Amino acid sequence: MPLRPGRIALIAASGLACGLAWNAWSGRGIALGANAFLREGAEEIPAAEARERFDRGALFLDARPVANYEMSHIPGAMPLPEDDFDRHFTALEPRLRSRFDAVVYCAGYGCEASHLVAARLHERGIQVAILNEGWPAWTDAGYPVKEGREP
Amino acid sequence: MRLLRHPAAHWLLALVVGGIFVYASLSKIADPRAFAKIVYHYQVIGPSASLGFVPANLVAVALPWLELIAGVLLIAGLWRREAAVVTAVMLGVFVVAVASTLARGIDIQNCGCFALDASGRSAGWKLIAGDFALLAAALVVAFVPPRAPQAAADTSPVTAV
Repeated sequence: MPLRPGRIALIAASGLACGLAWNAWSGRGIALGANAFLREGAEEIPAAEARERFDRGALFLDARPVANYEMSHIPGAMPLPEDDFDRHFTALEPRLRSRFDAVVYCAGYGCEASHLVAARLHERGIQVAILNEGWPAWTDAGYPVKEGREP
Repeated sequence: MRLLRHPAAHWLLALVVGGIFVYASLSKIADPRAFAKIVYHYQVIGPSASLGFVPANLVAVALPWLELIAGVLLIAGLWRREAAVVTAVMLGVFVVAVASTLARGIDIQNCGCFALDASGRSAGWKLIAGDFALLAAALVVAFVPPRAPQAAADTSPVTAV
C-alpha cells in the first residue's frame, strides 16, 4: 500500500482541530495569547528557595505595614503593604512589570497580607511567589535582615 | 529483516507505539495548562519577546490530540503507515527539543512525556534513547513493507526467525 501524504496532512489537521475545539469548549482550555502561568493561584515557596532567589537578585516585596518594614526587612525588599497597596504599587509598577522573579512576604503564620498582595498583583497581570510562613521563616533560618527605611 | 517484514511484527510494533502515544496524550489532554508550562520550560518555541505565547500554547493544545489520534490509528490499524509517519515526525521533534535543552544546559525536571506532576520523568539522555527506540519502531511500521499475508502464512513464525 503506498504512503498517502494527504492522509498525513489530514491526521495533522485533525489533531490541531481537536486540540483547538477541546481548548475552546472543554472548560480546561487556556488563552492562546496569554501566559499559562497567569490564571493560576499564587506560587508558594519555602524560605530556602526564597534565599536562593534572593542570592540570584530577586525582587522582594514586604506586604506588612510600613512600620514593620522600617523596623526590619529583607535587604533590598521594597515595601508594598497590603493596607496601603495602591500608592506603593504605582511607584513599583514599572519595576514589577519588567521582571518575573518577585517574592512577596508578610508577618508569618496566619498572615494573609502576602496572599492578598499576590492576588491584587495577579489581577493586574503580575505573577509573584509567596514566601511560605513569611518573615519568621526568613529570620528563623538566620538569613540577612536590614533595619530602617531604606531598602 | 525477515522478522521486521512479518505482518505480526508490524502489528505488535504499531500496538506498542500506539499504546504509548495514547497513554502519553491523556494527562496532557486533561490539563492543558500544566502541559503549557512544561512546553515553556523547553524554551524552544517561546514564550519570548519575539514569539509571544501563541506558538507554545498552540503546541500545548494541539500536540496531545495529535498523539492521541496517531496512537489510536496505529492501534486500530487504520491508515497505519501514515499514522506511523506522523508519530515518527513527533518523535524526531521530541529528540531535537530534548537535545537542545541538554546542549543549552536547561534542566527540565519533568519532560512532559506522561505525568505532568512531580512524578514525571526528567528530560535527559535516557529519554532521547527511549525516543530513538520508538522512532525506530515507527519508521519500520511506516517504511518497511510487510510481506503479503499469504507469504506470511506459508512460513511459520519459528522459521521466520
